[in-house]
Amino acid sequence: MVMVLAIAGVDNTQKPTPLSFPIPPGWPAPSYDFKKNPPTLQGFVLGRRLFYDERLSRDSTISCASCHQQFGAFATYEHSLSHGVGNTLTSRNAPALQNLAWQKEYMWDGGISHLDLQPLAPMTAVNEMGETVGNVLHKLRRDTGYQRMFKEAFGDTTINTQRMTKALSQFVLMLVSAQSKYDRVTRGKDSFLLPERLGYAIFQKKCSSCHKEPLFTDGSYRNIGLTLDNTLNDYGRMKITGSRQDSLKFKVPSLRNVAITHPYGHDGRFFSLLNVFDHYRKNMQLTLLTDTILQHRLPLSNFEIGQSTAFLNTLTDTAFLKNPFFAPPGYNITPMFIHRH
Amino acid sequence: MKSPWILIVFSLFLCLSGFTRQRAHQVTIRFDHYVGQAPLQLSDTAYHNSFGEPFTVEQFKYYVSGIVLIAKDGAVQAVDAGPFLIDQADPASRLLPLSTSLSSLQSIRFIIGVDSITNTGGVKTGDLDPMLGMFWTWNTGYIYTRLEGQSDSAHAPAHRYTWDIGGYKPGINAARTVVMPLNGIKENLVIKVDLLRLFDGVHPVRISQNPVCHEPGELAMRLADNYATLFSSLP
Ligand code: HEC
Ligand code: HEC
Repeated sequence: MVMVLAIAGVDNTQKPTPLSFPIPPGWPAPSYDFKKNPPTLQGFVLGRRLFYDERLSRDSTISCASCHQQFGAFATYEHSLSHGVGNTLTSRNAPALQNLAWQKEYMWDGGISHLDLQPLAPMTAVNEMGETVGNVLHKLRRDTGYQRMFKEAFGDTTINTQRMTKALSQFVLMLVSAQSKYDRVTRGKDSFLLPERLGYAIFQKKCSSCHKEPLFTDGSYRNIGLTLDNTLNDYGRMKITGSRQDSLKFKVPSLRNVAITHPYGHDGRFFSLLNVFDHYRKNMQLTLLTDTILQHRLPLSNFEIGQSTAFLNTLTDTAFLKNPFFAPPGYNITPMFIHRH
Repeated sequence: MKSPWILIVFSLFLCLSGFTRQRAHQVTIRFDHYVGQAPLQLSDTAYHNSFGEPFTVEQFKYYVSGIVLIAKDGAVQAVDAGPFLIDQADPASRLLPLSTSLSSLQSIRFIIGVDSITNTGGVKTGDLDPMLGMFWTWNTGYIYTRLEGQSDSAHAPAHRYTWDIGGYKPGINAARTVVMPLNGIKENLVIKVDLLRLFDGVHPVRISQNPVCHEPGELAMRLADNYATLFSSLP
């Protein structure tokens, strides 16, 4: 998957340059309807600019990238909850942003049914960016740089909600992570070490019914026996469907890049992978609503945990984490403390 | 024009259609908002519902879509370019100029709300722009009707009552169809919208018990049944 980009030679009068969307070999067809929002280089560049622009927040302190950091696979690195404007905290853990084109619903409870609608939630939430969509558009319209970029991407200088969110989608859709060691192995270009191979076998037996390959999620909502945190009172999917059956169900998260997206869980309650394994093997609260697959918990020995961890580490996609194309315009990020290969 | 033939065929078509159908004419619908017999005023005026609860109105807006006109001979014509957002604060939004080729109209049918495809199909423009605030960002879907104001009966912060009513999923779909006779009206149809019926049109809904409706579900469904009763045609 190589994105070849002819950045040179782009000027105002030209039509936007189509950008092909990379579908990794063996993956299912994406769910996102690209026909309604065909990606172009100019749309992507505009989306990236928006993603990294703090002016999308009320007091110009928070951008999408404040909570979705590239070196953390676009999750908030080492934060259980993320910081919003004016000393606020989000009520959930910011998930990694990757392979979004294959998702049908967004958020831990699946409350948002279209990727283009997603940015409106953080923009307007008082504990995230705390701004109104109208104000954001007003700020963008006054900026000649944005006027030019909207024209390049969409043909004229109209700046509206639809164009802004389409551009943001064009950027986040390109965040495709499919170049981990696991991917190389499945394509016959590399081989697992012994613990990784044993861990993969355990994973396929005990985990992949929910964390389904190749996306490492089946997109379903499950109750994995978590207890309710009585400060957050988050019942997950039930808030969206209104059905008691959905109490404490959350979306199965992808495990791609999982080694760097700690803390884990919808509220970041698990500090490390070991905490997650301990949950599955002993801390789970079994109730009538706990997923049937987990009715007997997931017995795992210390050896198995070591091997599974070795396997999960093969899901780290360094090329994705360091892809300069996804970095803020004019940067080439690689913080010193991220050195995983 | 690529070829003169297109022009000829097109004008032929125009002539023919002129013979078989009525010429399109304008029908203007106006929505006049009332509280009982009093025309609705935003903000300072205090009203009372049938339970004696006092309330003011700061915002009153709703979506009208799927407008269909029905002629005396049974012919049906969809005249919709909507959904339209009707907003008490914007007098122009309360006038809908429509074009129809039907004569001798019998009745009109429209939907309060928008269809499910519109709800989930991404970010829209115009009257459906989520920027207008008639949209739930955390739980995808349009707010079909919004009534907000203050009431001493509202035991919510700042004595505010906020009714945001919507929902498109099966079982909690708050879209409601309204059918109204037109009584021989030809051009200007004035629809009286009586806000008081929102409290008791079908189900009694007291501000004291339900100051807040912020999501699809059972309360929204009851209020939706009520808003289907707000409309009547003024002679
Ligand atoms: C203050 C922190 C914060 C900011 C700012 C923020 N997000 Fe998020 N983002 C989150 C959290 C937390 C979640 C999970 C929310 C939930 O599930 O309820 C999330 C979820 C998402 C998701 C859904 C991912 C999934 O797998 O379901 C996308 C896409 C996303 N954000 C994109 C954006 C974009 C684009 C922006 C900028 C307009 C943005 N975010 C700004 C914290 C933030
Ligand atoms: C019944 C379905 C199911 C099975 C089986 C399952 N998981 Fe999960 N997993 C989930 C759900 C749902 C979550 C999200 C939980 C929450 O709400 O915080 C999750 C969360 C996780 C997380 C946290 C990821 C993050 O980014 O926050 C990890 C790590 C994880 N699972 C690993 C595993 C492993 C390893 C196995 C096998 C030993 C496994 N899971 C088996 C459903 C499942």
